[in-house]
Amino acid sequence: MTQTSTVETKAVSAEAAPARGPGFDRNYLPFAYPALVITAAVIVFPWIFTIYMSFYDWKIGQAREFVGFANFTKLANDPRFIESIGHTLYFTALAVILPVVFGTIAALIFNERFPLRGLFRAIFILPMMATPVAVALVWTMMFHPQLGVLNYLLSLVGIPPQLWVYSPDTVIPSLVAVEVWHWTPLVMLIVLGGLASVPVEPYESAKIDGASAWQMFRHITLPLIMPFILVAVVIRMIDALKAFDTIYVITSGGPGTASETINIYLYLQAFSFYNIGYASAVTIVFFVLIILLTLVLLFLRQKAKWT
Amino acid sequence: MRSRRSLGVRVKHAISNLGFAFAVFVIVSPAILVMLWMLSLSLKTEVDNMAFPPVFIPSPPTLANFLDVFEKNSFDLYFVNSLIVSGISTLIAILVGVPAGYGIAKAQAHKIAVLTLIARITPGLSYLIPLYILFQWIGLTGTVWPIVITHLVLTVPIFIYVMIGFFESQPPDLEEAALIDGCTLWQAFRYVALPLARPGIMVGAILSIIFSWNNFIFGAVLGGRTTRTLPVAVFNMLTFEQVAWGPLAAAALLVTAPVLILTLFIQKEIVGGLTAGGVKGG
Amino acid sequence: MDDRKTRVTRRTALKIGAGAAGVFAAPAIMKTATAQTGGFNWKKFAGQSIEVSLTLGPRAENLRRHEKEFTELTGIKVGSEAVPEQQHRQQAVIQFNSGSPQFDVITESWHVQKRLFGKSKWLVDMKPLLADASLTAPDYDFADFTAGGLRWATQGDGRMDTLPLNIDPWMIYWNKELFAAKGLAFPKTFEEILMAAEKLTDKAAGQYGWVSRGLKNANVPVWTSFMLGHDMDPVNPKTVTLQTTTPEAIAAAEYYKKLNKDFAPPGTVGFNWNESQTSFSQGKIGMWLDGIGFAPPLEDPAKSRVVGKVGYGIMPAGPKARHSATFGDGIGIAAASKKKEAAYLYCQWATSKLMCARLLQSGGGSPCRGSSYTDKDVIAGLKLPREWLTCLQESTAIGRPGLPEIVPVTEFRDVFGVGLTNTIGGADAKAELVKATEAFAPVLQKSEAS
Repeated sequence: MTQTSTVETKAVSAEAAPARGPGFDRNYLPFAYPALVITAAVIVFPWIFTIYMSFYDWKIGQAREFVGFANFTKLANDPRFIESIGHTLYFTALAVILPVVFGTIAALIFNERFPLRGLFRAIFILPMMATPVAVALVWTMMFHPQLGVLNYLLSLVGIPPQLWVYSPDTVIPSLVAVEVWHWTPLVMLIVLGGLASVPVEPYESAKIDGASAWQMFRHITLPLIMPFILVAVVIRMIDALKAFDTIYVITSGGPGTASETINIYLYLQAFSFYNIGYASAVTIVFFVLIILLTLVLLFLRQKAKWT
Repeated sequence: MRSRRSLGVRVKHAISNLGFAFAVFVIVSPAILVMLWMLSLSLKTEVDNMAFPPVFIPSPPTLANFLDVFEKNSFDLYFVNSLIVSGISTLIAILVGVPAGYGIAKAQAHKIAVLTLIARITPGLSYLIPLYILFQWIGLTGTVWPIVITHLVLTVPIFIYVMIGFFESQPPDLEEAALIDGCTLWQAFRYVALPLARPGIMVGAILSIIFSWNNFIFGAVLGGRTTRTLPVAVFNMLTFEQVAWGPLAAAALLVTAPVLILTLFIQKEIVGGLTAGGVKGG
Repeated sequence: MDDRKTRVTRRTALKIGAGAAGVFAAPAIMKTATAQTGGFNWKKFAGQSIEVSLTLGPRAENLRRHEKEFTELTGIKVGSEAVPEQQHRQQAVIQFNSGSPQFDVITESWHVQKRLFGKSKWLVDMKPLLADASLTAPDYDFADFTAGGLRWATQGDGRMDTLPLNIDPWMIYWNKELFAAKGLAFPKTFEEILMAAEKLTDKAAGQYGWVSRGLKNANVPVWTSFMLGHDMDPVNPKTVTLQTTTPEAIAAAEYYKKLNKDFAPPGTVGFNWNESQTSFSQGKIGMWLDGIGFAPPLEDPAKSRVVGKVGYGIMPAGPKARHSATFGDGIGIAAASKKKEAAYLYCQWATSKLMCARLLQSGGGSPCRGSSYTDKDVIAGLKLPREWLTCLQESTAIGRPGLPEIVPVTEFRDVFGVGLTNTIGGADAKAELVKATEAFAPVLQKSEAS
């Protein structure tokens, strides 16, 4: 969300830098070392452990056995794992697109000046700050097929009761609803930052040319805030791929396996079946998948920047 | 004729205002309704909570659910644990994150930022078993440290990212002047950039406190009886018998209330801080 | 003033020996207790403190409620925590595996953890401790434990690594009012269950004849309950081979599908016991199949609309047999504990006559001591209807393990649970069971081989 201003600042520092010769900027790197050391200290051991274990067949309580790449080949033929990739992508697609659309609309609204804007904005960003586990529990109550408040609200407008997370057909969209509720505010904030940086002049000349509000949005605002929207997409995508708390608390992957995402499957293998070796392989494949998707998006972002 | 036209304009204006107000109402209502429903559940008796059609306004409201939560759990202990965990992990994030953000922003070394991003991308679940074993070796299990240390994976990257944006958005003139005057890089950072970055630090700190406060899975696996954090405690409230909606909602509200209140009080700074990079950069 | 008096007496009684007049008073036990105590010294390990890790539920509640008495009796401080079942099982494994768990005492679900704990030797063998007169109170009366409880608590190699805490037979809660309205009697056979469920179901009125768990993993006992009526276990206890694609297993799954799909409220594929209980307690469900320990909230006016209307039915007869699927818990000591003796005193106290009597009286479970059921004073203090007790005793008499005694029980429950959830959601029972069996067979084979 914050690297977006790079382009602008680069221009500024580029003017100042030559005075001290090229490569001077590198002198600033030691500032980052403590943070790198600390982060590495936490993640390096787990990574070594995970990579090592992914070559072993180890279930807690059983003997450990070196199996080479067998865990990975087994994964490639594991229908449940493959199914979970599908669920993850479906969930992620919805949980990225919807918050980005709603968040952008909300940002446009909050970019206007109106009475009590601060208060409304504060209320709007509350979901993002709320504790996911706590909120997921409340949503579970709201989804209850017989006693839930959502079905009551639907009945008021004449829609028959839904099964929400209690049916394989609607479980993922219902979980996405919670995710949208939770994370639209983050997108709104990022896009709002973009809107704040949009200059006024193009609009003035466009108005003189008689452009409609939609045309102005489409041809002036949207291109200008696109980099911000892409940042929001990247952040949202990483979080949605890794979504855990909400799904775990509300359905734990059910009914059956209908909402079993990769992360839930990983949890199941590691913490319910204690297949540490196999779970390590899941972790690695999952990580590669996230990196790949992120790179694709970052590539798109770079492209958008250049054009 | 002139006045008539202006009336027409005014009506049009009023309609568009009304439409706008409606739009605002629509976008805020999901947030507020869920919160109100949580409040309503927490203030009603179990029989009212299970009623269909639902009872919306508790009459009379009861505090029994909250009492129940405090009676059956060491909520005060969990609260303190959560406070310690999010406090220390944020403090460490500030200590290493501010210079890191500064260094990365100045050196334009976004590749380093990507490295910390790896910490964020790695599925959190994969840390837990190896770290549990590691903490066992160094004898930290049973203390809050395992939770604090794993939370650094959340707090440090968030903090660095907020700070990168902040330092990038600051005009470099003052530090340049300081450097020309003979300051070292460290002094320029310590006496010029750092004091100016206070709003950014605040936003980073708040976000990292909130994310740490809200984290569930690290505490769930690494926490013990005396080191439980609040979200885990709330999840554990899912009672054996029946879905106890009232106490559950009360507990949910208690956990999430501190961050919500914090947000309401300093929303301006959060919004300002998160959008500052853009504002100043443009 | 009166309160204080009873408390003092209780404390003195506790000092004299184990067992004592609880809130519901069990004088008969107390008499024997005081008589036999002799010179047993409960205070030998005073000043130590132990950590106790319990599975959340009425059993844990019972122990935690009276924990102070244990500390008064022994001078041992107790730090206890009750964690929800799934988290608890997981923490246990991770902590045991790391070599030094953070608890000294832990409760174990026999039906899930027994083989894993036994194989890994994570718990202390109780037999030498029980034989040690300096550690075991003379009035502990080991002979009082039921044969069923002791069988559960003993491993295949003869080690007894837990003391029996609770046995949980499954039965059917039924709504007497709804049955009466249709002029029905409680079913005696599986066939009659179907007929009654059909007659009781009136979807337009939101009334359903049946409810049972459908959530994967949690649903497996429902299926095995029906399978036992065909005189069939999911895993052959002698050969440890899967019998999950037998005609009996398929018939049980189809029967389960019929009940949950046609006569249960929509959404049961996501129901665990608590959702089922919530539904039943609203008064619009005819029958609910589940463990007997879920009764107390149904008789609590603050939580239930069916107070006084609940019938406690013994599992009806299947085509070939009549069994109640049974589950149970024991309590044991971590092998890595440094305070084994203090921990043993706690286990002893937790399974004492007094604590067992209290558990029964609260209705939160069925202790594994014969004396709990024969003592008139204990029964007089029962908080639930007498019918519940009768049901409990008769169910225990026809009890049969509801889950196979294998190591990877959780995986078994998950894999078959998914198949069953799919089945009650409309999929073909046979195809799902075949698929699940294929997926699980290698897992079982490997765990038995190692």
